[in-house]
Amino acid sequence: MPMTSAPEEHLRLEGIGVSFGAVNVIPSLDLSVRKGEMVAFLGPSGCGKTTTLRIIAGLNKPSRGQIKVGGRDITQLPIHDRDMGMVFQSYALFPHMNVARNVAFGLQMRNVPAREAETRATQALEMVQLGHLAHRKPKELSGGQQQRVALARALVIEPSILLLDEPLSNLDAKLRDEMRVQIRALQQQSGITAVFVTHDQVEALSMCDRVVVMRGGQVEQFGTPTEVYERPATAFVANFVGRTNRLKGTVTSEGTLTAAGQQLRSATTLAPGAVDILVRPHRIRLQETGEAANKVEGTVSSITFIGDLVQYAVRVGGGEIVVEEATRRDRSPLAVGDGVTLGWSAEDTLVYPAGEK
Amino acid sequence: MEIHKTSWPMRIIVFLLFVYLLAPVLLVFPLSFSGDQVLRFPPSFWSTRWYSALFANSQMLKAFWTSLSLAAVVTVLSIVIAVPAAWVMTRLRFAGRDLLFNIFTAPLLLPTIVLGLAILIVFASFGLLATMQGLVFAHLVVTLPYALRVLAVSLSTQDRACEEAARTLGAKPLTVFFRVTVPMLAPGIVAAAALCFLVSFDEVVITLFLTGPRISTLPVELYNYVYNQADPLVAAASALLILLTLGVIMIVERAMGLGKAFVK
Repeated sequence: MPMTSAPEEHLRLEGIGVSFGAVNVIPSLDLSVRKGEMVAFLGPSGCGKTTTLRIIAGLNKPSRGQIKVGGRDITQLPIHDRDMGMVFQSYALFPHMNVARNVAFGLQMRNVPAREAETRATQALEMVQLGHLAHRKPKELSGGQQQRVALARALVIEPSILLLDEPLSNLDAKLRDEMRVQIRALQQQSGITAVFVTHDQVEALSMCDRVVVMRGGQVEQFGTPTEVYERPATAFVANFVGRTNRLKGTVTSEGTLTAAGQQLRSATTLAPGAVDILVRPHRIRLQETGEAANKVEGTVSSITFIGDLVQYAVRVGGGEIVVEEATRRDRSPLAVGDGVTLGWSAEDTLVYPAGEK
Repeated sequence: MEIHKTSWPMRIIVFLLFVYLLAPVLLVFPLSFSGDQVLRFPPSFWSTRWYSALFANSQMLKAFWTSLSLAAVVTVLSIVIAVPAAWVMTRLRFAGRDLLFNIFTAPLLLPTIVLGLAILIVFASFGLLATMQGLVFAHLVVTLPYALRVLAVSLSTQDRACEEAARTLGAKPLTVFFRVTVPMLAPGIVAAAALCFLVSFDEVVITLFLTGPRISTLPVELYNYVYNQADPLVAAASALLILLTLGVIMIVERAMGLGKAFVK
């Protein structure tokens, strides 16, 4: 990433753990978020991402560990003194206050003079293009509008960190795309440090500077979207972030990788033993004619037309590989039963010790 | 609301059911305009003499004002006690919470006659019989479980994220309670208050044990009245009580819609 100087660390979790009785929900979590960056907590439900976010906000108490913001330990600080702006999945607007008063609430709590609070609330609403709805009640607004009010309410207090808990999961697909762009733009304009909890890899990859992939209360990988997608640290990350083909293979003592009765090439150095081989469907070419690091013969066994994509299931020596290709007109489409030569590069062969989920 | 096509036989059944439920209540209105000396249906001629008699009956009027002020005090106290209690029951986790809740709402299940006797025995030793304070305490035993139940249900269905949002925005716990929790609870509070008022205003069994010549409530006075003579004065009183009840329900309806306040 082209940065002139290393941005300073803003939020730091040190050995954060959560236990309910004997159950370790989060064993021990260490994380560092830089000032002004937007970090996604990505993972399946129950991975501890929301719990971690709530611990940062103070809504949950960690069993152990420390939370530091700007070097200051805030672990014992009560919620109302933490200066966090939080956006909830359910919007959580106050139903008995109109939009303007919702947005001004945090300013009132900070004893900002009434007139100034009003001006700032109006500005915040303009920022999310809802200035004209200031006097409506939340229930008179659409879901997307409510979420924008919630965003304005969280940002108007100029919090030290913006926390977003699955803010888009109650919106329909089209609105979600718009909100993604808008939230990211607002975050970048204000230069605020943000943590974004989501189970949707598209949201995490497209909106955030860095992604924490979590599973079972632990960090599987912490990296930029490109790193997480192109160089998944574990098979779990590869599977969770994007689609994959999984093949069973072995690495011989000489370091040769074989699967489906064929030798394959990978860019990584390999330890001998049983391995899982993961290849992304859209990185495989269907009719390889040139020199490819990996070449596999097969027959098309089924075709699924998705619109912008066509999925081919290709039967290869004992297994099946799914290949995705953008739909095109310059070539007659393949039919079930056609023979194909699959090809992909060594970098696209991801190899992990067998048995990892 | 969705409108369903109802078949004719079904409509007739529903109509008959309503007649069965409401006939005795509706009968009170023609009876109250009777000109007869005794309760008889249909009345042989019409008059408003029993309304005049009712308003000339100082004992009845005194009992009415006692009932009204008693119900008002009991309602206010019920809400003031039950709102924080329901909050504790629904928001805090502590050992024995469910047990405590069941104890608080147990009077709903006890036969009121048993409750009345028990209160009589206890209050006798404290000199609370036939006093306003005594009546207030006794009625609270009956109204608090209702208030607690209604408010606990409202509170547990309330989106807790709103309280959490207020906390993150810098509101201290007490501020959250008064600025967010209580206003959001308003429909529940109105419903609980209406219920408490009507229950208290209507209470006979327990009150019978605690009233005397010095202080008496309207339902008890009516009971005593009917016990001695059977003239249509009670019909006139009943008709007015029905209108009062309707009035309370209409206030609730105006405030937030019946459906919203009671059914949630």
